[in-house]
Amino acid sequence: MRNWWERNVLRREGIAALVRRLDNEPVIANLGPATFDLYAAGDRDANLYTWGAMGLVSSIALGVALAAPDRKVFVTDGDGSLLMNLGSLATIARQAPPNLVHIVWDNQMWFETGGQPTHTSTGTDLGGIARAAGIPNVARAATVEAFEEALDQAIREPGPWFIHVDIEETGEPRQRPKVVVEENLVKFRRTFTG
Amino acid sequence: MHWSDVVIESLREHEVWHATYVPDAINWQVLSKLEADPAFTVVPASREEEAIGIAAGIYAGGGRAAMFMQSSGFGNTINGLAQLLTAYRIPVPLFIGMRGGLSEFNEVQVPSARPIPAILDELHIQHYAPEREDEVQKYVDGAIELSYASRMPVAVLWYAQLVGAKRATS
Repeated sequence: MRNWWERNVLRREGIAALVRRLDNEPVIANLGPATFDLYAAGDRDANLYTWGAMGLVSSIALGVALAAPDRKVFVTDGDGSLLMNLGSLATIARQAPPNLVHIVWDNQMWFETGGQPTHTSTGTDLGGIARAAGIPNVARAATVEAFEEALDQAIREPGPWFIHVDIEETGEPRQRPKVVVEENLVKFRRTFTG
Repeated sequence: MHWSDVVIESLREHEVWHATYVPDAINWQVLSKLEADPAFTVVPASREEEAIGIAAGIYAGGGRAAMFMQSSGFGNTINGLAQLLTAYRIPVPLFIGMRGGLSEFNEVQVPSARPIPAILDELHIQHYAPEREDEVQKYVDGAIELSYASRMPVAVLWYAQLVGAKRATS
């Protein structure tokens, strides 16, 4: 995975690396730190921030991918959230949208509620579950370089893609994004309907 | 026209080209025809809340989706209805096959179906229940129209009065 002298990816580094590569491609962010870090990387109309409905972010992204098959669609999920909606992996595999890239930042904890260890901390392998669900392209990364390599391949090649990233949770202070969810939805939808 | 064909014509009329669902025998009368029609994309989900999330994403991505489920799975949708569709004002016409009413044979269907209208009321989601075939067009057209005008989910409930009761099987 990584050498002993390297540290794991930070979520905000990974999200910044993603956003740098995008033009008008949509990104749907999981509640909590993924939404905060996506906003911190620079607000854009094609960002959809979620604040609740925990677990559903990959389902929302699947819907976007089906409605907009001509755009690559990115979703940044978390281990605790995906564990709530593992059926989504089977549904994504069944629909097999070639334009969907599902990124999971795995910090092995429910960070927002105090850092309680999730099931990935005791060996559950989300990438293995994705593969067994029938997702054809599964990558795992523990360093920024490995993540960027997987991401570039996912941008180049048809998916669906599942990129499982081991991240380091540093708990640095975060600024709460100033977003009104109704406005966010309207602006996001307009990037498709014009 | 059979009530299921009325629903399909109404979806077509309102350009609702996507449907998400967890199957039930009542809605299957609509869904089986939708699946056979190349104009529609029909997405089966593993759980009702997931089907709500996919429908929300289809709308966010510029499309329109209806969601179909059975009353027994309605409880699985609450978080998606509240924190996604209602909070973000995402219109999704909901079609709920209602068990637990007249001639129900399975007692566990009863307590999950009975509170649905009250729960929808508390969530400020309007709901309608056509009882006769000749009312279906008015209700379904009206509910879909209302959903997109109000940017809120609106539910149509299919009770045994319209669709008949499921017969007990072994």
